[in-house]
Amino acid sequence: MKILTLLLSFILLPTVILLISQLAIARQGSVLERIHEADQPFDNMQIESAHQLSVKTVLAKESYQGGTFRVLARKDAISRYRCRVCHTKKTPQARDGALITHGDISINHGEGKNALTCIECHDRQDRDFLVDMQGQKIDFDHSYQLCGQCHFRPKRDWLGGAHGKRVTYWAGERVVMNCTSCHDPHSPAFKTKMPETYSLPLDE
Amino acid sequence: MDHGNKKDAPLKTADLMESKCTRRSFLKGVSIAAAAGSAGLVTGGCGSSASSEEMGLKWEEFFKKNYRLMTHEEKDATVTRLERLAKLQRGVDVQMSNQEPINDVLYGYAFNITRCKGYMDCVEACVQENNLDRQSKTQYIRLFEMDPGQLDPTSGDGKYYHEVPVEDKFYMGVQCYHCENAPCIQACPTKATWREPDGIVVVDYDWCIGCRYCMAACPYWGRRFNWGEPVVPKEEINTKQHYLGNRMRMKGVMEKCTFCIQRTRQGKLPACVDSCPTGSRVFGNLLDPDSEIRFVLKNKKVFRFKEELGTDPKFWYFMD
Repeated sequence: MKILTLLLSFILLPTVILLISQLAIARQGSVLERIHEADQPFDNMQIESAHQLSVKTVLAKESYQGGTFRVLARKDAISRYRCRVCHTKKTPQARDGALITHGDISINHGEGKNALTCIECHDRQDRDFLVDMQGQKIDFDHSYQLCGQCHFRPKRDWLGGAHGKRVTYWAGERVVMNCTSCHDPHSPAFKTKMPETYSLPLDE
Repeated sequence: MDHGNKKDAPLKTADLMESKCTRRSFLKGVSIAAAAGSAGLVTGGCGSSASSEEMGLKWEEFFKKNYRLMTHEEKDATVTRLERLAKLQRGVDVQMSNQEPINDVLYGYAFNITRCKGYMDCVEACVQENNLDRQSKTQYIRLFEMDPGQLDPTSGDGKYYHEVPVEDKFYMGVQCYHCENAPCIQACPTKATWREPDGIVVVDYDWCIGCRYCMAACPYWGRRFNWGEPVVPKEEINTKQHYLGNRMRMKGVMEKCTFCIQRTRQGKLPACVDSCPTGSRVFGNLLDPDSEIRFVLKNKKVFRFKEELGTDPKFWYFMD
């Protein structure tokens, strides 16, 4: 009898208590369960503090989860746009050489025999536009259409949100960075540099 | 709680040494204060330089409730008091919010270990945004430089300072994972830390007694302790604060990443996500099937650190 009581108090009771507490935790639902249950789209526009962006954006010519989204505009950031101002039929003067050539640009895009040249992305006829491999004119603001020809996997991730990033807000209308917001199109790889700060050693 | 008093302590010693008041009269003052049950308020027996308004505010602050038990009016009142105290004590015009969680929002985070280059812009932005102690160089985020094939940050180098990225290394960021089943919450003896309905694990700094049980309970080294009064230069103080977020901490309390609660509840991205130059950090609403974070969980190879512990973190790592 004594042994039974001991058994009850020291083994059975804690087990029962543990089981009940485990059940209680399970009833709350794990993150994954909550995610699976949540299938109703959230109205991102309801968050009123997430509406104003002071930068210029354009409506993307692609869709995101069936809806529209915006990308950062590019043309304003190009210092010498419109290109047609210089790229005319007129023969250039030698004395303007330093001014009108793009000596500051060195192309480091693609390796070996795949290295790119200017006219593979820039339209030969109309310098105000880019051009894809099929001869379609592409606006500078929508350069993702051009980059996506080769970099189709990053583009797919970018459309969904796994590559690139949103601008300032997680809520509100979806505004994402353009390819050229982060990558220099003439030399798209990220550079090595010193870190912004450092961490102290961990205390053991 | 009574950090103002603790700060004054060296002054009292100085007073004693200058024999402005005797040891007897000092102790008398202290014992009277203790008898009145308000030792946190009276700055010893030798008088005080604090204004009566400041004393009054500190008195009311001392006897306030745990944040979770407060009514809306009480929350507004304490925020107003803390704003005024910041003005009186530091001369800073603070805008403190007590914004409530948004319905149907559960914050989640994903970190791309393929893209991170170890630039540490996130760490610096976090320090600036959250008013972290500059003296002890407190940081919520730690980046580890890892060898290929390793997925345990303890095997990496967490104190690198050289040109990054290094070839054949990858970088892995560690911070608070805001676990659904957080061990730190269960460890807290004063219920000073809890999980908000939008999933953010927060600390009520005024209820923390500094026992550091939560720090011991966290398997991810996600919590930081203030061994001294946090030092932030006045001109660098971020004045957009939240009661549960980046308001000024005191000596002897715990603090941690709050997903930048003062930003995220306004629809903004956390400072680390906003500052990342490589787009390695994805943040969003886990309950919204159209959000970026849900795209990552659905389409990428993801894993959670120490998932087998059952802490159920809302922070995933993924690769391209």
